[in-house]
Amino acid sequence: MTLFALTKTQEAGGQIALAAILGVVGFFLLLPRPRGRFVPGGIAALIGSAAVFGAMVYSTFGNPASDVVGSVLFWLFSAGALIFGTVLVVQRNPARGAIAFAFVILSTCGLFLLLAAPFLMAATIIIYAGAIIVTFLFVLMLSHAEGPSDENDRSREPLSGGFAGFAFVGLVLFTLYQTSLAHLPNDGGKDKEQHTPHLPMAVLTPEERQTLANAVVKLDEAEKALDGDIGSHTARDERIVAFDKAFTLALNDLSDVVGGPYTFGPSPQAGTSPAQTAQIRDGSLHQRLFVKKPTTPQAKLYREDQQALEAIERAARIRGLSEGTFKKVEDNLQRDTPDVSAAKAEVRKLRDEVVILHGMGQLPARNVANLGFILYADHLLAVELAGTLLLVATIGAVAVAHRKGVTQ
Amino acid sequence: MNITLWHFLAVAAALFGIGLVGFLTRRNLITMFLCAEMMLQGVAINFVAFARYHGNLHGQVFVLFILAVAACEAGVALALFLSLYRRRRSLDTSDWQELRELGVPPTVDTEPLEVVKEEPLPTLTPAGARPQPTAEEVARV
Amino acid sequence: MSDPRTLAVIILALPLFAAILAWICGASPTTKKFAHVPLIVACGTAAVIAFVLLNKMLDGYAGQYVTENPLTWFSAGYLKVQYTIAVDSLSAIMLGMVTFIATMIAIFSGGYMHGDKGFFRYFAIMSLFVFSMCGLVLANNFLLLVAFWEGVGLCSYLLIGYYYDKPSAAAAARKAFLVTRLGDTGFLLGIFLLWKMGNWNTDLNLLFDYIAKHPPEPGTLTTACLLLFCGAVGKSAQFPLYVWLPDAMEGPTPVSALIHAATMVTAGVYLLARCSPLFVRAPEAQIIVAWIGGITALLAAFIALAQTDLKRILAYSTVSQLGFMFLALGTSGPISPAFAVTAAMFHLFTHAFFKALLFLSAGSVMHAMGGVIDVRQFGGLRKLMPITHFTFLCGAAALAGFPLLSGFWSKDMIFESLTEASESQSKYTAGYFTLFLMAALTAFLTAFYTFRAYFLTFWGPERIPAEAGHHAHESPGTMTLPLIVLAIGAVFVGGVMEPFTHWFSDFLQTTPAMTQAVIASQAQSVEHHFNWALIGTSTVLALAGIGIAFALYRNGGAEKAPPGLDKVFALSRNKLYVDEIYYAALVKPAEVLAFLLRVFDGFLDGLARLIAAIPRFIGDLVRPIQNGLVQFYALSMVLGLAVFLTFVVFRITR
Repeated sequence: MTLFALTKTQEAGGQIALAAILGVVGFFLLLPRPRGRFVPGGIAALIGSAAVFGAMVYSTFGNPASDVVGSVLFWLFSAGALIFGTVLVVQRNPARGAIAFAFVILSTCGLFLLLAAPFLMAATIIIYAGAIIVTFLFVLMLSHAEGPSDENDRSREPLSGGFAGFAFVGLVLFTLYQTSLAHLPNDGGKDKEQHTPHLPMAVLTPEERQTLANAVVKLDEAEKALDGDIGSHTARDERIVAFDKAFTLALNDLSDVVGGPYTFGPSPQAGTSPAQTAQIRDGSLHQRLFVKKPTTPQAKLYREDQQALEAIERAARIRGLSEGTFKKVEDNLQRDTPDVSAAKAEVRKLRDEVVILHGMGQLPARNVANLGFILYADHLLAVELAGTLLLVATIGAVAVAHRKGVTQ
Repeated sequence: MNITLWHFLAVAAALFGIGLVGFLTRRNLITMFLCAEMMLQGVAINFVAFARYHGNLHGQVFVLFILAVAACEAGVALALFLSLYRRRRSLDTSDWQELRELGVPPTVDTEPLEVVKEEPLPTLTPAGARPQPTAEEVARV
Repeated sequence: MSDPRTLAVIILALPLFAAILAWICGASPTTKKFAHVPLIVACGTAAVIAFVLLNKMLDGYAGQYVTENPLTWFSAGYLKVQYTIAVDSLSAIMLGMVTFIATMIAIFSGGYMHGDKGFFRYFAIMSLFVFSMCGLVLANNFLLLVAFWEGVGLCSYLLIGYYYDKPSAAAAARKAFLVTRLGDTGFLLGIFLLWKMGNWNTDLNLLFDYIAKHPPEPGTLTTACLLLFCGAVGKSAQFPLYVWLPDAMEGPTPVSALIHAATMVTAGVYLLARCSPLFVRAPEAQIIVAWIGGITALLAAFIALAQTDLKRILAYSTVSQLGFMFLALGTSGPISPAFAVTAAMFHLFTHAFFKALLFLSAGSVMHAMGGVIDVRQFGGLRKLMPITHFTFLCGAAALAGFPLLSGFWSKDMIFESLTEASESQSKYTAGYFTLFLMAALTAFLTAFYTFRAYFLTFWGPERIPAEAGHHAHESPGTMTLPLIVLAIGAVFVGGVMEPFTHWFSDFLQTTPAMTQAVIASQAQSVEHHFNWALIGTSTVLALAGIGIAFALYRNGGAEKAPPGLDKVFALSRNKLYVDEIYYAALVKPAEVLAFLLRVFDGFLDGLARLIAAIPRFIGDLVRPIQNGLVQFYALSMVLGLAVFLTFVVFRITR
């Protein structure tokens, strides 16, 4: 799409504007009018708009997911939502529009599923596609208009309405583009492979997460090393040595991420240039902990939100724990009456902390249970209010629809 | 895996925009309402995407509330539509213009609707008296 | 009860109540007929009380009674105006004269206005007038004086325009009011200047005391006196503001008698007499006063020579006699004010009697002739109306200055003051002598035109106009009784009061204003003596005038002029075209100016309306936005939001 030598902002802005204009034209041609509408032209314009839109999203943000299935599903569901949304808007017959709406809901729920919200998917389908649309269809039955009628065959200001809506959307997309820092120039050849715009940094880079997972495995092995014969002192010493070996490996991994007294353990793989090392560590927890001043624009968007602070806190706690764990285990095993389970418990404590840190920035596994927990722990007042609102709405609906003075 | 937030936000924005266009243009009350619900869906996608990105469930909680509110809204709105239909026998938003300024003429449609000539369905001559609908039956909606 | 101030307040209050009662009487047709009773009773009682007051003043304390603990009208900063009245010999004399004449005229009006449909209105306003005049006489505070001044002006306007459906009467009333208003402006300015000079003392006695202690510079004092004199010029119908008095004859005749002969027009003379301590210190103002008086006297006498309306003749005669009074007042510096002011006041006193008498007789004639007062249309009425004829003769003789009648003595005093002034230390002696000659000529003319009127009315062949109908007989008792009383007064009151007994001057000189003026003027007092040269001169003048009038008009013929003086008489009959000159020089430009201002005002109106139309226009442009369609409103909201977002996005993401 680089026809002219424009800046990236102007390019993206142009693409968005083009998509918006094509969208306006398409909707204008498709919205119901008394003297008929030009359907093929409208559909063509909308397809063009969608194509431009999709191209812009792809060229700016790249693939939505790193795996093929995820991407395909995403594009499918998105296309479905947008297409059926368009059908709802331009359809003359409101009953058909309601069916289109049902399909919009289904697509949206597909997107929900991709975003790890299965409960919401189910709830939305039940409530929307189930309750709301059925109620609509009942009302539609009662108030159906035969033949051509004002409400179905006319549109109120199609051009201004389309323009207003697409202007709004275009501005939102442009803002997205700007805040994604996609307009910033690439620096050298570093990001050649990455199309990803520079999101505000995640709490942990994927490499760090992998490192932490490895550390968990190694801690498990260290724990297992404590099993065995602890009868005699020599046996205990052996245990301690084995534990030490396994524990040190774990600590090396840990120190890569959270730092600690073992910061300068075995260096990362040879062969990686310092630049790559720096790159790996950019925006990572390591960077946050040790590099005080961000130097690259990427790291400029330091997230100072709750999550990052929590992560730093946890890292500090892990550091503290890991410092004392070996000492405690050693002391324990060298006592006259060694308590293996206590030693194991210490190791497990450290391991649990590492697991929690590993899972930061990711959704919890059991969606429904956690959803319920958060609802009643953090948003109890809102739940009560929502319930009251539902009650009042029920009464209100009955009162509004009540007919005065006519006995049924 | 790097979460690509932007795609979902873009789709949500587009959905919201389509819903906005439909709300502003269509005259059928029911279609308008469905477009409003579509706008809410766009917002819901936004929330869930952010929840995924932040790694906590607060966004999904808000979507639950959106759901509850949408349900209330649907109930009350449909009751209102029924009342309005009873008054004017049509679901056209442009029928209700009385709250305009004094001296401003009402907005009327200039283009005529095409009358679709439908052939009447074939009927048989009724045998016997056709029952007359009572007033109650006619008025009941 | 015996306090003169209390008596004075009672005298003030009686006509006011009479006015209210007369107005109430007009409520029902049965009581309407008795509307004249409250006035007669009130004025009669007031006259009696005034007489008692005079007695009191004569017996007891010679000086001035001023209200103690007066009510404050208003006070703002250092200006404080209180309701104060002062009773001294000057005001006592005026009160007595006003109430007595008012009683006579009230009795006369009861008969004259009989059957008129606005009967109660007439008496209500006349009572109000008597109240205002008494208040004017008694007021000790300048602002109170001005209030009563305006009060008499208002009543004069209402009574001149009594026959309001006659356009000429309405116009005459307006003219009177506006012309006197011109004088009143100067009057007010003079008062403010005096206040400033007098350290903001608003009461007359305090003001005069202050000025006596701290004499101001002569230029300022002269200006103030001249401004005060402006008011007198307006109210007392002097040149150039006399033009309203002849037109004021449109009102009923008793009104002319009371207001425009005896009382209201003398207010100016009274004012100058009151303020004599001031005038005495301003010789330049005095000579101007004298000149204006002299010019007026001669001019009015000249115009009266050839008039054909009996009341007009008497009106111009009033103007002329008032000029005489101002002549006397104008000599008050060079000669002792005791003499000069006494001369003016004495003439005022006697003039009130005989002029009121003349007017009432004319009213009696008019009543008998069915409303006709043009001397060309009737004649030889002495057989028809003997009492009227006799009283008119008495009044005419007194006016002409027939020896030994009251007018003779008072005019004589004026001549004497003029001659004394022309022999005094003043630098204007030549002027005073010229004025004396003018006064002598005027006396001659006075005698001539008065008896012209008399002969034309009562001598010659008897002619009765057609409008008379069954009215052509002597007037009833209610009308002739006052005539007789006033005739007695006109004949005798002059000789009794002054020349032999000096009661009048002795009494008048007890006024503190007089004493102050005497001290200030430092002129020699004039002793009482008989100046035989003057007596002889005035006798000759009077008899000569009467004789020539007899020779010319014995047999009627109002259009006749003495041989060779046809052009002069024509000029006199046309009032020297003064009214026409005023119209061309003053009224017409004012009309043009008013027209231009109306155009300008219309332009401003248009401008204001244009400015008012702008919001309406903008509203009409903007109002259709609210067309009642919900979707349109939503569209506007979204567009607005889009604009706002554009602004935000392109600013922040720069």
